[in-house]
Amino acid sequence: MENLFVSMAAGIRSLLGSGGLSEWATDFLVMFLKLGAILVYILVSALWLVYMERKVSAYMQCRIGPNRVGPMGLLQTTADIGKLISKEFIIPKDADKKLFLLGPILIFMPPLAVFAVAPFGKGMVAIDMNIGVYYFLALASLSTVIIWMAGWASNNKYSLIGSMRVVAQMVSYEMPLILSIVGVIILTGTLNMSDIIHAQENVWFIFLQPLGFLIYLIAAVAETNRAPFDLVEGESEIICGPFTEYSGMGFAMFFLAEYANVVLVSVMATTLFLGGWLAPFGLTFIPSWIWFLLKVYLMIFLFMWFRWTYPRVRVDQLMEFGWKVLVPLSIANIFVTGIGKYLYHSLGW
Amino acid sequence: MQVKGKGLLKGLGITLKRFFKPKVTVQYPEQRLPLPDRFYGKPEFYYDKCIACNMCVNACPNKVIKLETEAVDKKKVVTRYDFDQQYCLFCGLCQEACPKDAIKFSKDFELTQYNRPDIKIKFVKPEQVEQRKEEIRKAAAEKAAAEAAKAAQEAALKPETADKEGT
Repeated sequence: MENLFVSMAAGIRSLLGSGGLSEWATDFLVMFLKLGAILVYILVSALWLVYMERKVSAYMQCRIGPNRVGPMGLLQTTADIGKLISKEFIIPKDADKKLFLLGPILIFMPPLAVFAVAPFGKGMVAIDMNIGVYYFLALASLSTVIIWMAGWASNNKYSLIGSMRVVAQMVSYEMPLILSIVGVIILTGTLNMSDIIHAQENVWFIFLQPLGFLIYLIAAVAETNRAPFDLVEGESEIICGPFTEYSGMGFAMFFLAEYANVVLVSVMATTLFLGGWLAPFGLTFIPSWIWFLLKVYLMIFLFMWFRWTYPRVRVDQLMEFGWKVLVPLSIANIFVTGIGKYLYHSLGW
Repeated sequence: MQVKGKGLLKGLGITLKRFFKPKVTVQYPEQRLPLPDRFYGKPEFYYDKCIACNMCVNACPNKVIKLETEAVDKKKVVTRYDFDQQYCLFCGLCQEACPKDAIKFSKDFELTQYNRPDIKIKFVKPEQVEQRKEEIRKAAAEKAAAEAAKAAQEAALKPETADKEGT
């Protein structure tokens, strides 16, 4: 079980090698398969998360939630997406047609690209990049551009205001998000995800960086545009924000990408603060990738829990909280971590 | 001591408690909640009990009920009893007014129809009317026959009595 996926990859590699393919072609095909598997995982988990979100919200409101389509309502999202596919994709007359169509096509790109460096288990990382964290931060912030593009191309005032809000919110919260991760990087001295996980063998960074984790958590909720920071959407003020003009599958893509982003920030939180695929309490008989997924879904549950507990904040409160509370706190966290690290070294532990 | 963020944790606690609480949803078409005793649902009409007194028609504040009768052999036969449900306010005054309990409200509350004309309930069927008319005619005919027989009997007895009288 532990080496299920690793040995599967090795098996495919040897099969292709015996087939007389060159080294380069084999590498290329195996990498293609790995990325394909990640793609399938993300799409399936986006479907599952919509269902999970509805179930969690229902249970928190003493309801049952979807239970009609398929066993336990498991096929509800599939049916919803099927409905959305069959609907007409309307392009407004005055919209910038090319950009308007590019929006939903590109929106899945950043989360998919980032997952290439995510370590799903022991030795289960598609590309072991030495600047993994930097790559994550650089690509994850690209979705801001794509949402802005969609809002601009719609040529609709609600879309425009909504996407302005997205940009304001995401840029403001990118700061504390990155600064909270810096603490972890000071402790490990590396940007490689696998090395960061290995550095957590003795103690998870959530215990060494509790403030950093808290800041990351809040900033991640804001980054994914979820309640209580879901100011991008608002039926009574800006309708559906940047997605107002999108119908059918275009809307579905944005909708699913939102959940892909939730998986993304949860994967990062797991890797950076919760010890990645490391088993707690020496429970190593459970495979590392199961531990990883368990931690990721625990994080996702936490995000859903927040969403169905807190009322949304106002725009000015959001900005004030980001710039006046989170940024100074995260800078203080870096400062304290640096001094702590220096003291730790000078004491010679 | 006032700690910031205490309320946030309290809120999380409440939602988590709800998460594990038993659910209140009733799976409606399969499961139903019991209806109260005095619930007024779809009206029911008992054709045989009705004496066509027009009390319900007069009691109704919205003129929902339309009652038509026909005289057969000096007896009133109800030929039409239409209940235009879309105007009914389910006050139950017609049920109260009826001396014979011919109109009553059931507990059936699923009154939706696909077409507007279907909302109006036509309680009296033509064959019911025909049957009733037939019964009345038959009863009248029997009565007439009985009377005729009695008259004949009397007529047969008459000469004897006349004789007796004569003697």
